[in-house]
Amino acid sequence: MSKILKYDLVALLVLFIIVLFGFPTFLGFDGYELNLYSRYLSLGIVSMALALSWGTTGILNLGQAATFGIGSYIMAMHLKIKGSADLPDFMVWNNVDVLPWFWVPFHSLSFTLVAGLLIPALVGGLIGVFMFRARISGVFVAVITLAFLVAFQLLVVNYQGYTGGQNGLTGLAPLTLFGWTVDTYSIQFYYLVAGCLIAALVIGLYLVHSKFGLILRAIREDANRTRFFGYNVASYETVIFCISAALAGWSGMLYTLVLQFASPTYMSVSFSLGIVIWCAVGGRNSVIAAAVGAIIVNILQGKLSDVYVEGWHMMLGATFVLVVLFMPRGLHGLVGTVWHRLSQRKADKKPQTVLSKKAKTGQTEGGR
Amino acid sequence: MDVVFNQLFAGLSMASILLIIALGLAIIYGAMGVINLAHGEFVMLGAYTTWACQHYLGFGILLSLPFVFVVVGAIGWLIERTIVQRLYDRPLDTILATWGIGIMLQQLVRIVIGPESRFVSGPDFLRGNLEIGNVVMSNYRIFVIFFSIAVLLATWALLTKTEFGTKLRAVIQNRSISECYGIESKRIYSLTFAYGAGLAGIAGTLITPLFSTIPTMGTSLVVDAFLVVIIGGLGSIIGAAAAAVMIGELTAMFSLVINDTLGRIGVLACVIVLIRLRPRGLFPENTRG
Repeated sequence: MSKILKYDLVALLVLFIIVLFGFPTFLGFDGYELNLYSRYLSLGIVSMALALSWGTTGILNLGQAATFGIGSYIMAMHLKIKGSADLPDFMVWNNVDVLPWFWVPFHSLSFTLVAGLLIPALVGGLIGVFMFRARISGVFVAVITLAFLVAFQLLVVNYQGYTGGQNGLTGLAPLTLFGWTVDTYSIQFYYLVAGCLIAALVIGLYLVHSKFGLILRAIREDANRTRFFGYNVASYETVIFCISAALAGWSGMLYTLVLQFASPTYMSVSFSLGIVIWCAVGGRNSVIAAAVGAIIVNILQGKLSDVYVEGWHMMLGATFVLVVLFMPRGLHGLVGTVWHRLSQRKADKKPQTVLSKKAKTGQTEGGR
Repeated sequence: MDVVFNQLFAGLSMASILLIIALGLAIIYGAMGVINLAHGEFVMLGAYTTWACQHYLGFGILLSLPFVFVVVGAIGWLIERTIVQRLYDRPLDTILATWGIGIMLQQLVRIVIGPESRFVSGPDFLRGNLEIGNVVMSNYRIFVIFFSIAVLLATWALLTKTEFGTKLRAVIQNRSISECYGIESKRIYSLTFAYGAGLAGIAGTLITPLFSTIPTMGTSLVVDAFLVVIIGGLGSIIGAAAAAVMIGELTAMFSLVINDTLGRIGVLACVIVLIRLRPRGLFPENTRG
């Protein structure tokens, strides 16, 4: 077991304890707060999904909100059908007479749950194949994904009769899971979301620490060199893009459940860059740190935006600039540096090992 | 047929404003590899400075142009010196940092001036339309088109005919060798960034009579300008001009055939495909690290 894996597992265990017991038991949350924290935890998944493509592979995806939005709309479509007797109300207002064909399969819950993962993955895969086959990288990936996001949001808003347009999908029925009607203000629902977050993190950790993850990191460091070693870089990039998209879709489904509606603002440029902010604040190089970043930033936002809404955005912008300037590896990097200093002081008299030198130079890096 | 000409004209006038915005972005990107997502906010600041000039000083749009150029340029210079300068070797991080700066500028304006939209009146002597047959062209838009061509030529002259331009091109070609010849690349970079920001400010002035002046006005503009730069080819002025006209006219034509929203989606789709086919843009410049 490598050293990094050991740290990650310890971090996961700590997070597991805080999330499962710390929030609900020790802080004594109920109702409204449980719902609020379920929301933060569900956003942790999408931030962690971005860390897989950005921090691990070096692909900055500015369109992560698109796949997140697809997931959230898919869940909302199922609940909307369940919630309306005949046709969804907004379709009646927009003179749509019959349920469109792509709405019909969402009668089934199992189809919805599978589609919420597969359709985002498919969309991510198509964009990935499109881009990575042409060896597009860096800024161009950022531009293409951003343009896709803008186009996609316009599309959703434009087809009001099928998507609810600017209003999104509201008036949703509660989810019924194996005969259990989900109450989003209950502790059971909180545990469901927390369980999803932990499961997603386990998947993420497994990916990062497998050989697959090693190749992804090689691509981040030097895509050409990895190519010369005989790896098909484009297909690795596409696969991680798919997985990241599927996880984002998962996160979106949970988010719709928590908030009880789906809105086109979930696919806005600012939401998408918000995800990037969470990921950067937490530390893009670690999936756990990215998720923690999302949770921390959102908790802060929840607390501070109550006090002053205008000032919060100011602080968010400032925090972001400062993090990029001084902590390119986020809180994760900061913790790592402090940890390193402490252990360095302990082992002061021992000769410096190659490993610690490497760790030192590692801190100044963080270019991509 | 007249509808088509009217639409072509509308596309051209949109393209001319897009060109001024993209020109600044293209120079900044070409020179330093910085994608400046705060560029839209510079446009917004330009619009607000124009409003302030008119509201408090009674300046017309034309009179405020040099003033706006200096003010927004100075803000750009300040931002470059304090923040952007530290990020030259991390191109992707500049996207993030400048987005953060954009949020702050937007919020600052919202707190200081207020979120409601502000009205700026266009110049009096450019009121009215020029009519050729059934094609109606507003004088102001014609002025904007010629003004943007003038800005394009001035920028071209700045880059090719002046000492500053020679130094800038040297730095773009090879930063470290230029430094060996005594060119202070940091100073050149700061001035370039300030010039780009100043251009964005001018664009902000020019669109005030056409757009409503609100704190969020820059966000949609910067995405378009961003696309123009990428399609045009890195830092190529000719490329930026061609791409701006292309995007402006494509938008106009698409919205004539389908509707505005689908038109914009169509343009974005075209842009995505174009980047895929020509990742280095229409007119790639041969630059070295």
